[in-house]
Amino acid sequence: MNLDFRNVAKTFPSFRGAVPAVRDANFSVGDGELFILLGPSGCGKSTILNLAVGLERPTSGEIRFDGEIVASRERGIFVPPGKRNVAMVFQGYALYPHLNVRENIAFPLRVAGEAREEIDRSVARTASMLGIEELLRSRPSELSGGQRQRVAIARALVRKPRLFLLDEPLSNLDAALRAATRAELRRLQRALGVTTLYVTHDQTEAMTLGDRIALLRDGRILQTGTPRDLYEKPETPFAASFIGPYPMNLLKAVLEEEGGVRFVRLGAERLPLPPDRVPGERRPGSRNVLFGIRPEHVRAVPESPEPAPRGIVTAVEHLGRETVVTADIGGASLLAVAGEGTWKEGDIARLEIPMEFSHVFPEGDDPS
Amino acid sequence: MNGEGRTRLPYLAAAAAMTAYCIGPIVFMALTAVSRRPDFLSPGAGLEFTAAHFLEVLRTKSLHFLEYFRNSLVVSAVSAALSVSVAAPAAYAITRLEVPGRTAVLFSALAVSMFPQVSLVGYLFRLMTSLGWINTYAALVLPYTAWILPLSLWILTSYFSSVPRDLDRAALIDGCGPLEALRKVIVPVAAPGIFSTALLAFIFAFNELLFALMLTTDHHARTIPVGVALFEGLHGEIPWGAVMAAATLSTAPVVALTLLFQRRIIQGLTRGAVKE
Amino acid sequence: MGGDRTIRETLRGWAFLAPLAVFILGFVFVPVAGTFIDSLHREVTFLPRAFIGLGNYRSLSSDPWFWQSLRFTVLFVLVSVPLELVLGMAFALLLHRPSRARGALRACVLLPWAVPAAVSGRVFELVCNFQYGPANYIAERLGLTVGPVNWLGSAWGAFFALVAGDTWKTAPFVAVLFLAGLSAIPGDLYRQAAVDRAGPLQRFTRITLPLLRPVVVVALLFRTIDALRVFDLVFVLTRGGPGGSTTSLSLYGYDAFAGGDVGYGSAVSVVLFLVAFALSAAYVRIGRFGRGLS
Repeated sequence: MNLDFRNVAKTFPSFRGAVPAVRDANFSVGDGELFILLGPSGCGKSTILNLAVGLERPTSGEIRFDGEIVASRERGIFVPPGKRNVAMVFQGYALYPHLNVRENIAFPLRVAGEAREEIDRSVARTASMLGIEELLRSRPSELSGGQRQRVAIARALVRKPRLFLLDEPLSNLDAALRAATRAELRRLQRALGVTTLYVTHDQTEAMTLGDRIALLRDGRILQTGTPRDLYEKPETPFAASFIGPYPMNLLKAVLEEEGGVRFVRLGAERLPLPPDRVPGERRPGSRNVLFGIRPEHVRAVPESPEPAPRGIVTAVEHLGRETVVTADIGGASLLAVAGEGTWKEGDIARLEIPMEFSHVFPEGDDPS
Repeated sequence: MNGEGRTRLPYLAAAAAMTAYCIGPIVFMALTAVSRRPDFLSPGAGLEFTAAHFLEVLRTKSLHFLEYFRNSLVVSAVSAALSVSVAAPAAYAITRLEVPGRTAVLFSALAVSMFPQVSLVGYLFRLMTSLGWINTYAALVLPYTAWILPLSLWILTSYFSSVPRDLDRAALIDGCGPLEALRKVIVPVAAPGIFSTALLAFIFAFNELLFALMLTTDHHARTIPVGVALFEGLHGEIPWGAVMAAATLSTAPVVALTLLFQRRIIQGLTRGAVKE
Repeated sequence: MGGDRTIRETLRGWAFLAPLAVFILGFVFVPVAGTFIDSLHREVTFLPRAFIGLGNYRSLSSDPWFWQSLRFTVLFVLVSVPLELVLGMAFALLLHRPSRARGALRACVLLPWAVPAAVSGRVFELVCNFQYGPANYIAERLGLTVGPVNWLGSAWGAFFALVAGDTWKTAPFVAVLFLAGLSAIPGDLYRQAAVDRAGPLQRFTRITLPLLRPVVVVALLFRTIDALRVFDLVFVLTRGGPGGSTTSLSLYGYDAFAGGDVGYGSAVSVVLFLVAFALSAAYVRIGRFGRGLS
């Protein structure tokens, strides 16, 4: 199924006036796609989920399922959640505590009034798909977190929903279980081919799971794209710092030009900028920029043949596989993950910056 | 920090005194009911057991004790059931539906529970008389239900708001309408709370005196508290043994409920009064 | 479920509230309004109903029995409510202490609350009985009195019998409320206070009482209103006697109704209603009720 959000906005009334939770959201999720809504808490991602499922009504704009409007205030259309054939896995799982696992999974089918044999068959099929056949007689309170999670997924998938929604489904699991469940969710979603909307604040989850990601901040979608797009071509300093194993280094810098070549001055060095890295002329005449480079691309080396800024090492963190070196270059600090040699505080390092991986943002877009 | 040992003896003494104070009058009532003479505590008298008082109360047709008892059970049970089933949808609307005016409803209910009963009873008497309902169950059940509703509403609202919102969202997504979500999810999940509420409602109705006094006239609808309050001897002298036997019998159901469901009752009482 | 609700949803919400509203309007608000209206009428059995304005209230103001019942009611509130709160607090502190018998103790303390006031009234009536009542033996044994005393035959004796009966029945309710408040106080605070070398008394006045304040206000409100409208116990235990000295406002109103003067009884009820209302409003202001709500 295709899910479309067109100019959707949602404001909540409050004592201090209307609070916009979602502003002008536009995106579409293709059939069978796993689409991630990523952002910090309070960015509006859960509201978008609630709008899609029908727990909230849009203040303006329209939401379509396969081209058919399911919610539009302008047209006075609103299909309630129970009639949308959507399924949702809640952060706290929301299993019905008074029903055993079998009845929890069967619940949506019973409400729909399906025949008894049909229900038994569907429950058995879904339970075996998730490997929870032995749990069917247990109460939710007797289950571990991981088992509850599976039951919640089973209850959601049992009636073959058109749209599958997950709200931070992994956040209550411990780290090891989270990685395993992530892989399994991915496999299940692929196998069933169900269109999926997935909310998370964890960029690792988003990067590993998502077909595409919408990055949100303050109720606005900042950027939509594949994980790779978001990693390689962040359009804003916020995207650059939010996505990736480490926040991108963002340094105030001045753009200089000499003989048709542009340079970025970092410390004592002038680093030439490849032509494709020059930002669009969004602010003509502005020469103050934010220069971005990912820590995983910066190499701290004792000596370098290249023009590489010098820095004083201010912190060294050994993470096992890699070492994170923080260096001070002319008052700004730069993280370097790649590199060689052993470092201690106070050492002088050369920091090699591969300019083909650099990013330049117009200054003023504060990443924080 | 180790004051436990030193304070143990005073604690035990105080606890014993408290227990004696609380159950003393109840024990005294029960003993008088089975004692041949009511002054069994006086010097020189002694406790001589007899079942005569109980038999008198139960067997004397003109006392109508069993009828009062039945009336009380029916009226209290129906009022409790009715008030809980009326309060439950209202508590659902208040905790889940964001209805305009819900806070006003909650606070008018609180205000209602502050009204003196006597300020209703005169009008109720005229109303029931004009309807021809005086001395019927309806004359008691309807005012009782209204009278217990504020309490039921507050306790249920508190219980319902402790049921996670995601549960009824899940139910809505799974295809339930609001009424179905209430019936299939919230009510079963909050069942212990609903039970506590019904229990309290029952006890309140069972113990009510003023309405019953005004709105009933004889054994067709008169309840136990009225029966006990108006129990007088036929020959001037109050038959204390029989009065206490009647009192013991009428207290038995509420005492049994209290002992059985002590925790639920305490929970319900504090839910109604102390909003967290 | 957020804003943007439709008229239909609002109507549905109101439909859920409608049965409650019907009951409370029909059997509480309408009767109260009816009582207000009746109080402005001559509404006496066998006489035609007639509007007499404030006539009933004028009669009230010059009725010594009315003033007597108002005096008694206020005195009853002033004496019994503080006693109940103090006793309830003592019970709550005892019940709060960890003990193997805690469950049994709580059940015992709850029992008086569950006993119908009509029953406890009869029991206290016997306890205070001139001929048979143990109050006399006990008082004599303790050397407080010489010879049998007719407690219910004297105004003060009857008053204290009522206070004793009411305290017995309601201190447990207060204790249950306070107990809930006590359980909500984090134990760490007491541990910290012990580290700071606060004695038991200081711990009680510096930690327990201030943190219990909201619960105390709730209990005070409930108890004051209940004592103000006391009816059952007075009706059963003293029937307002001796000589009308313990007639509460509720009982005075009831007596008027029972005597066939609905108009006069309504006027008494309206006065009681207004006093209760004013007091609740005052408490709500002081205690800032329902802060946690909405």
